[in-house]
Amino acid sequence: MSRFFERYEPETSQFFDEVIATEGAPRPHYDKMLQRFAQFSIDDIKARREIVNIFFRNQGITFTVYGEDEGVERLFPFDLIPRVVPAHEWQTIEKGLIQRITALNEFLNDIYHGQKILKDKIIPAELILGSQHFRREFVGVNPPLGIYIHVTGSDIIRDRQGNYLVLEDNLRTPSGVSYMLQNRQAMKRAFPVLFDKYKIRPIENYPQELLRTLQEIGPVSRREPNVVVLTPGIYNSAYFEHSFLARQMGVELTEGKDLVVNNNKVYTRTTRGLEQVDVIYRRVDDAYLDPLVFRPDSKLGVAGLVNAYRKGNVTLANAIGCGVADDKVIYSFVPKIIKYYLGEDPVLENVPTWLASNPADLKYILANLDLLVVKAANESGGYGMLIGPESTIEEQEKFAEMIVANPRNYIAQPTISLSRHPSFFNDTELWGCHIDLRPYVLYGKTITIVPGGLTRVALKRGSLVVNSSQGGGSKDTWVVDE
Amino acid sequence: MLSRVAESLFWMSRYFERAENTARFLDVNFNLLLDLNKITHVENPSYWIALILVTSDKERFNNLYEEYSAHTVTDYLVFNKNNPNSITSCISLARENARSIIESISSEMWEQVNNLYHYLQSVTPQFVHTDPYGFYKEIKNASHLFQGITDNTFSHNEGWDFIQIAKYLERTDNIARLIDVKYHMLLSEAQNQAEIVEGSEDIIQWMAVLKSCSALEAFRKVYLSKIDPDNILRFLILDRTFPRSINFSVCAAEDALWRISGSSRHRYVNNADRLIGKIEAELSYTAIEDIYSKGLHLYLEDLEQRLVKVGEQVHLTYFAYHTPEIEPVDIEESLPFTGVAGGRAYWSQAQQHQQQQQQQ
Repeated sequence: MSRFFERYEPETSQFFDEVIATEGAPRPHYDKMLQRFAQFSIDDIKARREIVNIFFRNQGITFTVYGEDEGVERLFPFDLIPRVVPAHEWQTIEKGLIQRITALNEFLNDIYHGQKILKDKIIPAELILGSQHFRREFVGVNPPLGIYIHVTGSDIIRDRQGNYLVLEDNLRTPSGVSYMLQNRQAMKRAFPVLFDKYKIRPIENYPQELLRTLQEIGPVSRREPNVVVLTPGIYNSAYFEHSFLARQMGVELTEGKDLVVNNNKVYTRTTRGLEQVDVIYRRVDDAYLDPLVFRPDSKLGVAGLVNAYRKGNVTLANAIGCGVADDKVIYSFVPKIIKYYLGEDPVLENVPTWLASNPADLKYILANLDLLVVKAANESGGYGMLIGPESTIEEQEKFAEMIVANPRNYIAQPTISLSRHPSFFNDTELWGCHIDLRPYVLYGKTITIVPGGLTRVALKRGSLVVNSSQGGGSKDTWVVDE
Repeated sequence: MLSRVAESLFWMSRYFERAENTARFLDVNFNLLLDLNKITHVENPSYWIALILVTSDKERFNNLYEEYSAHTVTDYLVFNKNNPNSITSCISLARENARSIIESISSEMWEQVNNLYHYLQSVTPQFVHTDPYGFYKEIKNASHLFQGITDNTFSHNEGWDFIQIAKYLERTDNIARLIDVKYHMLLSEAQNQAEIVEGSEDIIQWMAVLKSCSALEAFRKVYLSKIDPDNILRFLILDRTFPRSINFSVCAAEDALWRISGSSRHRYVNNADRLIGKIEAELSYTAIEDIYSKGLHLYLEDLEQRLVKVGEQVHLTYFAYHTPEIEPVDIEESLPFTGVAGGRAYWSQAQQHQQQQQQQ
């Protein structure tokens, strides 16, 4: 084994290690990787690190951290050791995601039409009707093909036994897919020999698949649909991704100011006049889309956009109001949702979840704050969380007050020790760092998942938070045929 | 093409050209002083005042500095972030504009803007004072490289034409100002010494003006070594073949505008075409005596004013698109437009904050 892996401590008694099996031997799909790394010196690793850094910097792949004095641009931390997912495991993930996304789309279609699931009392009606992401005004609106969630990115983790579990369904505007694509480019440059040793399924066709999906959902009766990407603007932390995807698809990247609505049709302002738009891949939240309907102070939206959408003159991806289904409270009902619409048991399990709105659960949560992870139902990006075992008594008391004041807004989950993957620290030694996986699911006429996803890694030792805004990084993810 | 993209291409190009011209102003001044302090007293502050006068920034400068010296003027024109026309500010603005259209420009163009930006972040005032020649050369070369990259990696269609318009409008404005610096020098020295300076010092000054336009060699090929003010003004204002003359630059801007609109000689489609065509026609039929009879300073000032008007018409025609039914973009909120400053790199605090909110 390599000098790096000789000194690596997988701590398999406490964690599921992706590379080293419990007996101390590497898992078979990592054999070739370990052999290759055994040939590397520290200098070899540093040289490859330099290749990767130059690649990312030249591409302008930075993200911006807020909450400090002003936004600071940083390179997205990238770990050189790729994650390998064997084909048979990927098959389970793929099957589970297709099942889950199909059911969630059925659920949204039902919520915005007959609301059968509420009438059958599978989910308490007040949880849906009281959700801040439920858009009453879209009940009865029919998006093309009946699809609401065209682009999703579910977060998947592995527990102590290595089971894949869904942690979150991101049904609004999940980001990170550009990192998935760029990580692959970087790995090809830095490790061509290792790359050649594996049969890695390609992911490079994602932009084409995304464009095909967006074209498929265009309003009926229109010619070749004119697709645009709508970004909040250059200060958004995912701006690089928005421009990257627009460039890769060959479509216009627009800001709210570039779009104008006239007679319920949406147009871009161009140097030659107005051009009609058919499909908007929007990376702006519902609340900011249209100042006439949602937040009147929005400076990112387009006045009149919602009416054009309701008239069916333009398709929004994703549809308005999807947030109601990725609320962390609704999350706990997803196994029931799958059973209700598809009559199947879920392929991918949920993480056990307690709802503060349920009196018995609330009691349990308040008694075990030091052991649980508490999350606000509507926050994302790792904000608004309490990680029990790492928290102080004061923080726990503060959360207890907030939970009691607004129980609908909180859920709790056991502290899952996410699986760990060896990752470089200072390019000299390997640490076991916690990881998750975010595959990207496209839903047009069919459901497409490019094999892989973004593996996020908590590069701070012992940290469980993988979000880039909280010091997380990423790895390339290889789905390999054995 | 999206109006916003066209506008950002325009300002990216314009700020880049402005940075290069500022580097040229400063470079020539350093060279001039090196030559002049052999024959006259050292560190004549009037040379440094002139640089501030031509950038029309006297008030802002006086609020920031006590005196006119190599040190303060260099700091103001190279580094000062409160000066929107400093080289550092210009390149930051060019980069912000490029960043907002990164999917529209070639990745090589982006890398070049980005490299120059990072280079400027690393440069210290000490370095500039130690090796001004090297520093200004670096800026000029970076600008030339950017133009070469643009010409060879970016389709020569509408977007490229907006880049050309911006570059040549800015360059025309700057040549006019540069000639005006010389005018200011003559004026201030006339006041100081109660006589117009003549002889070797004057020739050296004029040679410096030519050098700052990289025009000395081209000039000599036309006029041999007969360096007199009439010929120099003829060359810098009226020559139609030298790329840093006013006439050449106006023609190039006119060509680009016509390619976009489909205008042709005697048939203009919009006001931008009409105004640039008028300037070009007048230049073509102007003799140096006409300029003298109006007065050099007044002539240049008038030209600068008219160029501002062309910029305003480009903005109204292509960037602030609207129809009778649709209100124009809220100009007040989007940019403080003056014809010589602007672009989408300006964002209000509220816009920035909202842009940061969206994430999943």
